[in-house]
Amino acid sequence: MSHETFETLAAGYAVGALDGEDLVQFEAHLAEGCARCETDLREWRETLARTAVAEPRAIPPPGVKDALLRRIEQTSPRVTDRGRWLRWAVGTAAVALAAAGFTGMYVAARYEAVLGRMARETAAVKQRVERSEAVLREQLALYRDGVALLRDPATRVVEMRGVGTAAGAAGRVLWNDKIGGQVFVASLPAAPPGKAYELWTISGRTPRAAGMLALDAAGQAAQPIAATPDGRVDVFAVTLEPEGGVPAPTGPIVLASK
Amino acid sequence: MEGTARIGGQPCHGGRALVVKNGMTGPAADLVRRMATGDRDAFSRFYDRHAPVVYPLIMRIVRDPADAADVLQEVFWETWRAAGTYDPARGTPEAWIVTRARARAIDRVRAVRRRGETFVASLDEATAAAPPATGGDTADRMADRDAVTSALERLPAAQREAIELAYYGGLTQTEIADRLKQPLGTVKTRIRLALTRLREIVGSPA
Repeated sequence: MSHETFETLAAGYAVGALDGEDLVQFEAHLAEGCARCETDLREWRETLARTAVAEPRAIPPPGVKDALLRRIEQTSPRVTDRGRWLRWAVGTAAVALAAAGFTGMYVAARYEAVLGRMARETAAVKQRVERSEAVLREQLALYRDGVALLRDPATRVVEMRGVGTAAGAAGRVLWNDKIGGQVFVASLPAAPPGKAYELWTISGRTPRAAGMLALDAAGQAAQPIAATPDGRVDVFAVTLEPEGGVPAPTGPIVLASK
Repeated sequence: MEGTARIGGQPCHGGRALVVKNGMTGPAADLVRRMATGDRDAFSRFYDRHAPVVYPLIMRIVRDPADAADVLQEVFWETWRAAGTYDPARGTPEAWIVTRARARAIDRVRAVRRRGETFVASLDEATAAAPPATGGDTADRMADRDAVTSALERLPAAQREAIELAYYGGLTQTEIADRLKQPLGTVKTRIRLALTRLREIVGSPA
């Protein structure tokens, strides 16, 4: 290809008219560093500039210059002594700001950690308090019911004695045939793994499950017993049963009344 | 080195300043050099000197006074920001700013065209001069117009048409060929001839 082609392309490029393959080709040619085309291009640009200069002039809208000067005022100037000083000042301020920012972030992170821990602790305390409160309410309800039971003349107190391995244990039942009752147990040894104590109400020869005993660490339990359908209980007994309980007693008796 | 000390008090900039001085002649180049050091007064004078040339060019391309004012501000803002990168070996400050102004104006027009507005007006409109700017300069402009014959107006009609569609209309050579129903080669040749003729009219760089 003769260089003549590129001279034509340079003219098209100068007025922004190249497209497609011509544009790709000419830019590649320029990128190769063709000094002739560089010179041509520069000359066409000068020609266009002088053409513009030779055109009738027009005073631009006055607001533009004001806006530009304001814009310049708001930004830091470049490298004069004053500019350098300002840049230094701005730079220092920026560093200080960044440092403050980091300090702030560090402090904030620390406080967030502490606050987070406090929040978690507070939540834990709250949960414990709520649990304690529930337990207390339960106990209070139990005692109230116990007081109500004791006021009732129909209520009787039934003693239970420890049997066998639980010979040292003792139990007491407040019982009202119409209302039901409460059982109190003390000194019962902890049930072996996989086992639990189950309470029975026995009418005649028929035992009826009356709930699993919830022993505390001291081997004590205090819990309500629902009234029986026929309203009559002859014997109260506690047996050692598989955890979760069984419908009819299978294990050894540890506590029994009578 | 006296001039150097005056420039910035930095010996390391002295060599460059002297080279610049040797390579750049004319007050405009001097203004750009001072703008590069953050001299706002130089910018103010650079603006006063070139805005009246650049504004009608932008106006002719974007055609909307508000858009033209925007582009004008953008162009001069860029010259302020880029003054330090201006290389006198690559052209005069006039070519520097005119090239930039034309490019930004075309960018604006293309953005407007993408928004679906009419882009290229009729040829008559395209060849019409920019409408008067705000203020009472109309009479002055008309006087200028009488006194100075536009270089473009002295081109043969076909060449003028091609270069106006490309340079002011933002059309590519293929678009111009389609529009004028001329072979692509003819359009390319007309553009080159137009530039060659314009160079004869306005003169080569000294």
